[in-house]
Amino acid sequence: MLEGKFETASTMKKVIEAIKDSVKLCNLNCSQNDGITVQAIDDSRVLLIALKLDPSCFQEFRCDKDLVLGLDLESLSKILRQGNPEDYLTLIAEDSPDSLLIVFEDSKKDRISEFSLKLMDIDSDVLTIDEMEHDCAITLPAAAFAKVARDMKTLSESLQILVTKDSVKFKADGSIGTGSVILRARTNLDDTKESILIDLNKPVNLTFGAKYLNDIVKATPLADTVTIKLTDKAPAMFEYKLQGGFLRYYLAPKFEDEEE
Amino acid sequence: MLEDFLPPSVVLPIPTTTTTHLSDIPGRILNGIDDESLDDPIILGVDEAGRGPVLGPMVYGVAYSRKTDSEVLKKFGFDDSKKLTEQKREELMRGICGAETDLFDSIGWATTSITARDISAGMLRPRQATYNLNSQAHDVTMELIDEVMRKGVKVREVYVDTVGPPISYQKKLQDRFPTLKITVTKKADSLFPIVSAASIVAKVTRDYSLFHSAKQRQMEVSWGSGYPSDPRTCKWLNGEVDPLFGWDHNVRYSWQTAKEAIKRSGGLVMTWEDDLEEKDDDYGDIGQMFNGGRKERDVIKCDWFIK
Repeated sequence: MLEGKFETASTMKKVIEAIKDSVKLCNLNCSQNDGITVQAIDDSRVLLIALKLDPSCFQEFRCDKDLVLGLDLESLSKILRQGNPEDYLTLIAEDSPDSLLIVFEDSKKDRISEFSLKLMDIDSDVLTIDEMEHDCAITLPAAAFAKVARDMKTLSESLQILVTKDSVKFKADGSIGTGSVILRARTNLDDTKESILIDLNKPVNLTFGAKYLNDIVKATPLADTVTIKLTDKAPAMFEYKLQGGFLRYYLAPKFEDEEE
Repeated sequence: MLEDFLPPSVVLPIPTTTTTHLSDIPGRILNGIDDESLDDPIILGVDEAGRGPVLGPMVYGVAYSRKTDSEVLKKFGFDDSKKLTEQKREELMRGICGAETDLFDSIGWATTSITARDISAGMLRPRQATYNLNSQAHDVTMELIDEVMRKGVKVREVYVDTVGPPISYQKKLQDRFPTLKITVTKKADSLFPIVSAASIVAKVTRDYSLFHSAKQRQMEVSWGSGYPSDPRTCKWLNGEVDPLFGWDHNVRYSWQTAKEAIKRSGGLVMTWEDDLEEKDDDYGDIGQMFNGGRKERDVIKCDWFIK
């Protein structure tokens, strides 16, 4: 039996909103030690999503037997929208479940709402993702990154990211013109969340699909900062840390056009 | 079914691809084909047969004559096709094809048999490319009218029987043939004898096609009328399923009845490569990147593959 109670529904609501446009179906893997994990690849196979909700994410968590819950995220999202962000949210499943029970409790109003969502058999392979070595790691305010990703998408389908030891440059080259945004490394001692930190082993110049970056920044409400790890010719990782867990996106870079 | 008769629109062996047959221009139209007199214009009727069945072709028929002659048609018994027996229809068809001089001299006709294979192929095109039954029907109709006119028949008025909404279809036809007077209506076969004639050439062509397809297959069990509601058709469909190929080209695979019959009879679940979202070739495959470049899943790569 799985029983996971969140102190507030907002985490789960935000997580599902952040990934449901990239993947339609996914498996929630539940276990006592690891909590709930998700690994899913979008239909175009360019973006991989890895979610981890440790048991510490939950107010109460028990999972007697490892479970795989196949879900349609659009349907899950519909149900999650029925609860208020500050409600208690509990996910319940039997040992061989055909549905997932979702319970919202509004403690102030003594209102309890209960939903059951049909489960699906979803065929998916789980990849082992090792901690990667990276050429550089950037940590910046999540909102600042979201703004760049959204703004630049209006100019071009792809966004070039160039990192040097003290700045990150985002560059879009589109049919109507070009644009670039430079963010300099800075340390804000009053508000560390506003800092931009660059840890550089090697300068990086990579290009990504603007569409996918825009899918990624849908996770912005989940965390104050985002950490981006980039390595030449390897998937980039975008990490939003949660209270006990993370939501990570791995994005394949655009193949380099020679003669640029 | 008359043993000693085969409509000229039915080709043996029954082809797998769509075919069109055009009759010669009848004598009474040929005489004075250049006479553009408006008091006796040439009218043309359109009707179809075999829209609903899961087996065999859908046939579009047109028939044309001088307007004054079309009144004579009533005398021969052209009427609401539902009111005519199979025997009566075949007699009339035989008449049009030459056995009855008055009819033969008055009526010209043409049919297009859209085979079950072509119907399915259109309807099952992947994603946005779907070519639905209505569009197929409309295109074939317009092509038939066009072909008759290209033969030199100066058609003035067109009467069309429709199962769908008449107004939008009427506009579509009028846009394509701005100089013709077009009337699209339900039950046109009971209102206009020329449409009744069109319905008979279509219906008889379809019936003989299906009959000869069955004969070619040397079937032991009858497949019935081909309508999903016919118990014989239903039984045949469910009994004949090959798990990989389903049936042969006589079945409309795009029909829900056919899809369900495959599923029910343990047919393989197919995933068509064309239905999958296209891989964005500008980017690497994220799964492969984590898997040391190995493909995650073996895919039998040919025109189709089985999951």
